[in-house]
Amino acid sequence: MTRENERLVVIRHAPYSSNQLREGLDVALVTAAFGGSVSLLFLGQGVLALLKEQTVGAPGQKATLPTIDMLEMYDIENLLVPAETLQAFNITSDQLVEGVTVIPTSELPSLFQRYASVLNF
Amino acid sequence: MEYGLLIMGAPYSSAAPHSALRFASAVLSKGHRIAGIFFYQDGVHNASSLMTPPQDELNMREAWIELHQQHNVALDVCIAAALRRGLMSELEAKRHGLVNFNIEAPFELTGLGQLLELQQRCDRFMTFA
Amino acid sequence: MLHILNKPPHSDAAKQLLLALSADDTVLLIEDAVQAVLYPDWQGWTVSSAAVFLLAEDAVSRGVYSLANVKGLPLVEMDGFVELTEQNERIISWY
Repeated sequence: MTRENERLVVIRHAPYSSNQLREGLDVALVTAAFGGSVSLLFLGQGVLALLKEQTVGAPGQKATLPTIDMLEMYDIENLLVPAETLQAFNITSDQLVEGVTVIPTSELPSLFQRYASVLNF
Repeated sequence: MEYGLLIMGAPYSSAAPHSALRFASAVLSKGHRIAGIFFYQDGVHNASSLMTPPQDELNMREAWIELHQQHNVALDVCIAAALRRGLMSELEAKRHGLVNFNIEAPFELTGLGQLLELQQRCDRFMTFA
Repeated sequence: MLHILNKPPHSDAAKQLLLALSADDTVLLIEDAVQAVLYPDWQGWTVSSAAVFLLAEDAVSRGVYSLANVKGLPLVEMDGFVELTEQNERIISWY
């Protein structure tokens, strides 16, 4: 059942409010750069990282959307969001960047069981 | 069993380092090994040699060093997370044209690859944040 | 699978943990999560068939130890914490 070499990185923090999102994505990118397979799950505040309308705000702020756009280049194609998170934030899937898969919230427990390693950020 | 720990909270701001230290002592006294501790995000502040808490508070950096000396636990600090927060070794300081540094052995600056390797190598891997 | 929660029972982290929980999982409440003692209606106590433990020393430091005892909630010492990690190959922290 367990996919030994797959890692699930869970993003749970919004862009700009802290560095947790960016440094979490860095772990996903490094995993992929080392040839590992990685899926990203966006939970709670983390879903805000996927809003396609994001852009640079205050001068000197580093945007996270370019990193999200870079994921595909690293073959990180599995971007997952539970339906309940979208509902809770009143966000519809057409407000999100391309390539996001909306999953039923009831699938979360089995999703967590499936991966050999899970890192929560 | 072999354990690996990821610490992402700063001492004196977060309870995470203290919880991790308590757990580490307990795990070692039950006969397990800790292969390594990786400090990431705000956890890099655990390594600062300029840390000077009041005398009635635990010096977290010294506690980690004691763990290293007594149980040979590797203390790895994410270099990217450290540099952007103003923590660096003498070598990195020179490289960036800076006079001061605050990371010294047994703490080692290393890349995120080390974190992935630690997680893969250990029987148990735990996050304290 | 062992889930470790260190945030209060109504935090985002706690809600996310509950969404990710499988029936056979174990939950350990540490740091601020021991506040769950104060909320008998907390979903974590009622909804799942998962076993939920409290870290005794954090319940003591936060003044909810005797209440946890009166309610008969399962408390573990640091040794018990280590045992939970021995029994569960995978450990996820919610913070």
